[in-house]
Amino acid sequence: MIATVVDWDALLQVIWVSLAAGVGVTAAWGFALLGSTRALEVGRQGRPAEAAIYALIGVAGLVTVIGAIVFGIIILTGD
Amino acid sequence: MGSEIIVVIVVATALIFDFTNGFHDTANVVATSISTRAMPPKLAVGYASVLNFVGAFISLEVAATVAQDVVEIEANSIGLLAVFGGLVGAIAWNLITWYFGLPSSSSHALIGGMVGAVFVAEGPDAIFFEQGILGKVMIPALVAPLLAFIVGGLAIVVLYRIVGRLRPGPVTGGFRFGQVISGGLLALAHGTNDAQKTMGVITLALVAHGTIAADDFHVPDWVVVTSATAIALGTYVGGWRIIKTMGSRIHKMDAAQGFAAQGAGATVILAASHVGFPLSTTHTISGAVIGSGAAKRLSAVRWGVAGNIVVAWVLTLPAAAVIGGFTYLVTRLFGTGAAGPIIVSTLIVIGTAFLFVRRSQQGAAPGVVPATESAP
Repeated sequence: MIATVVDWDALLQVIWVSLAAGVGVTAAWGFALLGSTRALEVGRQGRPAEAAIYALIGVAGLVTVIGAIVFGIIILTGD
Repeated sequence: MGSEIIVVIVVATALIFDFTNGFHDTANVVATSISTRAMPPKLAVGYASVLNFVGAFISLEVAATVAQDVVEIEANSIGLLAVFGGLVGAIAWNLITWYFGLPSSSSHALIGGMVGAVFVAEGPDAIFFEQGILGKVMIPALVAPLLAFIVGGLAIVVLYRIVGRLRPGPVTGGFRFGQVISGGLLALAHGTNDAQKTMGVITLALVAHGTIAADDFHVPDWVVVTSATAIALGTYVGGWRIIKTMGSRIHKMDAAQGFAAQGAGATVILAASHVGFPLSTTHTISGAVIGSGAAKRLSAVRWGVAGNIVVAWVLTLPAAAVIGGFTYLVTRLFGTGAAGPIIVSTLIVIGTAFLFVRRSQQGAAPGVVPATESAP
């Protein structure tokens, strides 16, 4: 009976979106922190190339977080 | 004239329920941010209130589910009285669980109350048990806390892998700043799901009154604004109470756990709101908090509280349904006019005041969202 009454498309959408956004955005924030913190550390140690790579990681993480939030709000308000 | 008075009473009762919902849920939304010192308490409460208000405007899918997919009522005074009975059932169960400290769901209480009252008023054919209650309410309500638990647990494991070797100071500061975002999203999510249920019930009352045609469903702007305002005010007022009474009862969690828990809770609630599933935000947020705690240290989790949540989940729908049905019967003793709702409302106000005074004299604080114990 349960198989016929549940809107499986909607439920599966909730599950995969929650997993992707909940874990993905959290991880992206983690990379933003990793990148920014390491960039400052290695920059102070006089390793500019490495600092630049970490800075890129940090920026990518931050852009991912902001982009995901904006995308999510657009989807939510779009219907 | 009688039906107009009943509509006014029903709308007022629904907004009071919405206010108590915000009041009841403030701890869920702000406790994590306060616990990790991501935000000062006053700022956290004000911020949550504003975003609760904003969240109520984002989507109307949950309102549509509550108004159309759970029960079907007649466009007459019987239908209006059934909506009133359902609301009273929800409020009464909320008060009972608040008094005894059970972490119940206002959302389930509302739906349970409506089902009970409409069942008594219009019979079983008016209840959409399978596609509505089972398919859109109970199954998603069971899945959501489990999903939040898994997402919260996975998120914190991934986070610790990424930042585990960094110096604690910058990491903690970074996650506290991150909680401004995740906490904001959680408050937004709460407004998106919880205020919608009241909008759905008010719209149902307007359908019963004949103001809105059943085949022309829409939520009037004034319903959206008043519901959003009521839940935001409830959050704000409830927050002050929480700040005064929680104090040392807030169990510590690190900022990374707080960020993971809030993010997990917000994504599950927002995703569910988008497809129209009315969830228990209380249980979902609790699941996320427990998940992020369990992934760090299994023994730190208050599994007893998780057990209480399961008990509350099982009891709430039927208990609120019984009270809702009983309230409808009592209201009908006074006919189909406004006398019944006026008398019952008066009794509810007196009973609520009595409970509040008794609770204040006992000096107990409300139950809080389960968190993890701090590491020794």
